[in-house]
Amino acid sequence: MAGEIRPKSKEELEEMKIPYEEYCRKAFDPGNEHGKPGALTGIRWLSCTMYIFTPHSAANLAELGAEVIKIEIPRMGDAMRHTSPFNEAYLYPLHDTRPMTGTGFGFLNANPNEFYLSMDYHIPEMREVFYNLVRQADGLTELYRPSTFDKWKMSYRSLSQINPRFIYVWGGGFGYGPKVFGGSYDILAQAHAGFASITGMHEHMGGHATKSSNWVMDWNSGSMIAFGVLGAIHWRRKTGLGTMIEFSQVQTAAMVTEYAVPLYGRFGIVRQRWGNWDTQLCVHGIILCGKSDFPDAQNPQDKFDARYVMVSAFQDRDFQELCNITGQKQLFDKYKAHKDRVEALAQVEVYLALEKWAADKTRSQVVKALTDAGILAYPVMNDREVYESPHYRERGTIRWMDDPLYGDILNMSGYSTGHLSKTPRKVSWIWRPVGADNVKIYRDMLGYPLSKVEEWYAKAWI
Amino acid sequence: MCDIIWCKKEVGGKPCNTVNYLDPYTFWNWEGKVNCAECKTVYYIHMIQGFNFKGPEERPGEKPDTSPLYADKPLEGYKGYYPGIEGRTRPYQCLPRHIYLGKADMVKFSIRGRPVRGWRPQPPSAGIAGSFPYKWDIQKLSPEVWQEYQEKKKKGEVKDW
Repeated sequence: MAGEIRPKSKEELEEMKIPYEEYCRKAFDPGNEHGKPGALTGIRWLSCTMYIFTPHSAANLAELGAEVIKIEIPRMGDAMRHTSPFNEAYLYPLHDTRPMTGTGFGFLNANPNEFYLSMDYHIPEMREVFYNLVRQADGLTELYRPSTFDKWKMSYRSLSQINPRFIYVWGGGFGYGPKVFGGSYDILAQAHAGFASITGMHEHMGGHATKSSNWVMDWNSGSMIAFGVLGAIHWRRKTGLGTMIEFSQVQTAAMVTEYAVPLYGRFGIVRQRWGNWDTQLCVHGIILCGKSDFPDAQNPQDKFDARYVMVSAFQDRDFQELCNITGQKQLFDKYKAHKDRVEALAQVEVYLALEKWAADKTRSQVVKALTDAGILAYPVMNDREVYESPHYRERGTIRWMDDPLYGDILNMSGYSTGHLSKTPRKVSWIWRPVGADNVKIYRDMLGYPLSKVEEWYAKAWI
Repeated sequence: MCDIIWCKKEVGGKPCNTVNYLDPYTFWNWEGKVNCAECKTVYYIHMIQGFNFKGPEERPGEKPDTSPLYADKPLEGYKGYYPGIEGRTRPYQCLPRHIYLGKADMVKFSIRGRPVRGWRPQPPSAGIAGSFPYKWDIQKLSPEVWQEYQEKKKKGEVKDW
């Protein structure tokens, strides 16, 4: 039959017979990624980065198999090592000269699989050593204020003279333009691009412009740089030439404001916050239930916060069912058409009615009542529940790993980014101490004698 | 972004010309006195939401509350001071902020009972120029933790999840 796919071997025939889910399990095989090749094996990348945003761009490459060399300030390392979420979780040691200092969990997931070199590359004495690294590398990511690397003769226009195939990434706050020297933090990107202005509840409902608790703009921007690098690598295969990538973090944050700017362009309307509800769909939001699922727990996240449920019933029939089971039939009569119930005042009425219904119920009771009626509803889970979720465990999204240097670490990192059947992402180690691979890189890769390496170390150049 | 105090104090007949960098985490909302890393002149500043609301004003003879994160002299080829130089730049020992526990939370085992290198000090194990091996030989480097781990295994306190 035309268009029919025929198995070419008995093995293929057997494979076609198995159920699709089983086929997927076999293809992705979580836990056995290390037996498969890396998609970017053969790419060598230099990471002159700090914090989360730019390190994560290089980490994406390292998880996909590239050899990434992270170059840090001698004896200090990336500033991000010196942060930690409370309760002050550190892994030791950071460096032999700092026995009382560790690397904080804030550094986690931003630099796995990398080789750690220390070098004060801004001093003229180390410039040729840095150039030697560039000669043997495919690209570099840096995050300094614009023109800093240029001043040090290390920007794209200098490095492309040494290595025309070199791919150069600058990642920072603003890039060229009126705010060229402005640096960035995740929160600044969220604020500057208007992202925070449309996050959180409206002020009339007790809300404020809100930043996302985690550094979404750092992680997102880092991933977007990685896309740029993959594009540049493909371009180089065709032309043999490198590229300069200039990546302004406030630009990425602007992208995720969805239709806000185009809306202004069309109607002159400035988009407002709508918090846990949705401006385009109703019901499609998060509601508060009256009782916690874990009233006797000690942890406040369990004791008080296990009260939120995400519910989606915007189709007319779903909304009707929702109104039926919550005893709000008058609401359906009033807002039969979606265009009516999605209006702002209607949403206030609908969600308040839902929360009133849920006021004497636990989160589980609400989820059960809704799902039994065929309505999409899920509890808003906390980290402990995510850890205990069989879905994440089975798919290997969250897993324990025995880090070769730091021991038992619960980790998601590259495993939370989707599966690749032939060349999966891997995490081999979470990070290494500052300068842990100095000898490997300076002597084994670049060919400098150990006496030279020791001399640089004594002078704190490395 | 961080603010700076560019010290122009006359020292030995010429301006100090040191740029003292104020780490935004510490100085975002802050009122107090900071020293210049070079000439140690004490300045009063009041920062609100990252902006210098008041100061810097010299406060001769007074003690600084803290120091800049680091400092350099851009007009003299970026001669500078790294963080953590006593009396000049802010101590950088990564000790926890007092509002939390008062001390870093040391652990030897993860919640499923397996060893994790979360305590200090660790025995120095670096090779040349700070190089580290690829394996933490816990039995050799931290025999007491290894022993404790064996006990935990016997008691069934080591789990898969």
